[in-house]
Amino acid sequence: MILEFLQSLSEMQIVGELTVLSLLIGGVIMAGGVIIAKIAKLLFHKYYAPSLPKDTAQNISKLIYFGILIISFLGFTSSQGIDLSGIMVAGGIFAVVIGFATQSVVSNLISGLFLIVEKPAKHGDTIELPDMGISGTLLDIGTFSSKVRRFDGTVTRIPNEKFFTSNIRSLTLSTVRRADATVGISYQSEIDDAILVMKNEILQTMPFVLQIPEPEFRIEELGDSSVNIHVYVWHPRDDWSNAQPILLNTLKRALDKSGIEIPFPQRVIWTGKD
Amino acid sequence: MKIMSDNSEISFSNFGVYDLDDQMELTLPNTMIKFNRISENAFSYYRENSEGKIVEKIIPVKSSDVKIELAPIRPLNYPARRTNHLFLQFDKEIYLSENSAASIFVNCPIEIGIFLVHDSNYDSLDWVTCDPLNSRFGLYGSPDTGTLCKYAKVSMANDYDDSDPYVEAVMQIVVENTMSFGQSISKVVFPITDNSLYYQNSKAIIDGLKITMKKRAAVNIADVQTTSLETDWSASPTWEDKTASTHMEMGLE
Repeated sequence: MILEFLQSLSEMQIVGELTVLSLLIGGVIMAGGVIIAKIAKLLFHKYYAPSLPKDTAQNISKLIYFGILIISFLGFTSSQGIDLSGIMVAGGIFAVVIGFATQSVVSNLISGLFLIVEKPAKHGDTIELPDMGISGTLLDIGTFSSKVRRFDGTVTRIPNEKFFTSNIRSLTLSTVRRADATVGISYQSEIDDAILVMKNEILQTMPFVLQIPEPEFRIEELGDSSVNIHVYVWHPRDDWSNAQPILLNTLKRALDKSGIEIPFPQRVIWTGKD
Repeated sequence: MKIMSDNSEISFSNFGVYDLDDQMELTLPNTMIKFNRISENAFSYYRENSEGKIVEKIIPVKSSDVKIELAPIRPLNYPARRTNHLFLQFDKEIYLSENSAASIFVNCPIEIGIFLVHDSNYDSLDWVTCDPLNSRFGLYGSPDTGTLCKYAKVSMANDYDDSDPYVEAVMQIVVENTMSFGQSISKVVFPITDNSLYYQNSKAIIDGLKITMKKRAAVNIADVQTTSLETDWSASPTWEDKTASTHMEMGLE
């Protein structure tokens, strides 16, 4: 019964030698390939990816998935009796036509390959793209685009061409990073005393601030109302949130505790009679 | 089996192994630790430090024979585990003339590990630092290529007993200058993961270092190697941070 059914399918020609049966076999090969590719990808993610660097795991995962798909496709074409050598010749001409028509797509693809080879940033790095005003964590460098999760939780998709040609500022490449803040003290206050109390408070209450190099204090400006001091502290690269957002608070607390005035802008007005 | 040190106003719990009964309290400088049996096979763990930070855990246990070990561990966890290197800055420089050697003792900072001991296995339960104000980071080298280290300014000790209990361990450093000119040494940077710690009552000691200052081609280098201690003091278990490598997976098995 089944054999008869298959026999009937093999006799139903679609185009040339292409029959419904061969198309069905091709479909089974492709479907099998997709299923095997997905299972292989899943098993890789489950058992091997956790022990690898994230970007390496992602690239190997893509290689496995698309590798199996390509093998399945080759199996599909040979099952249909398609001669690939003819397609290769036609494909060359076709590729030129497609290349002109889809320049940006090809450009994104090539840029993606260069990004994977050059690795200006890797998966999980915190980066900033000053030209685009984007900063966040690099989630993925894909075939055509890259994804960056911004600090507000939203994900931005950037075409690889733009990503590749823009300035990339890596915030996690160095071992340590620097945080800074400016604080103003009154002209009546002793600058050395203010620096000493601020330094002591930073070293005592900010455990992520490095002792070496020491916090640095520079007189930035003799301003209209205050002497402005710029403070620089170093911290481990992953602990920005334990340094920068609380630095100004620490400085103010230190000055408040020791009674050093942080002046408001003020202006002395002399009238003509005076 | 709680042992108390007898030379301080507040009695602190010594390093050592404690039987975990229905209730147990361990007191350390600036830190209070309590265990309470909450059911036949479970204990509660409570720890409070001087900053008011509280850590609470539930500890299910398989057997009734459970012990707790309080032991000195490497000073790498506070404020967060970021490095395996230690940067010891000596309070006084050591000068070595040409072709000479010296042996010194320095006070190296420590943290304290709390281990769950069952069936001769050691589980890392918690850690504390009794000196958080002096537990800081430092950078050896330049910001782009330097090595992030735990940093401590250390003083010289007279012998293995000359240390601040619960806060410091004594380390012996042997320095040898094989060069043809005098050399000063004011700091040492090394990965501390190869150095084991040992304890007795409230005191701790740590594997030493051998520093050889020599000339390699045109460069003067200091070769730093760990030297194992031979002592009858009890060896501390190794603290393992298990949370860092845990992979949480959601989905069907």
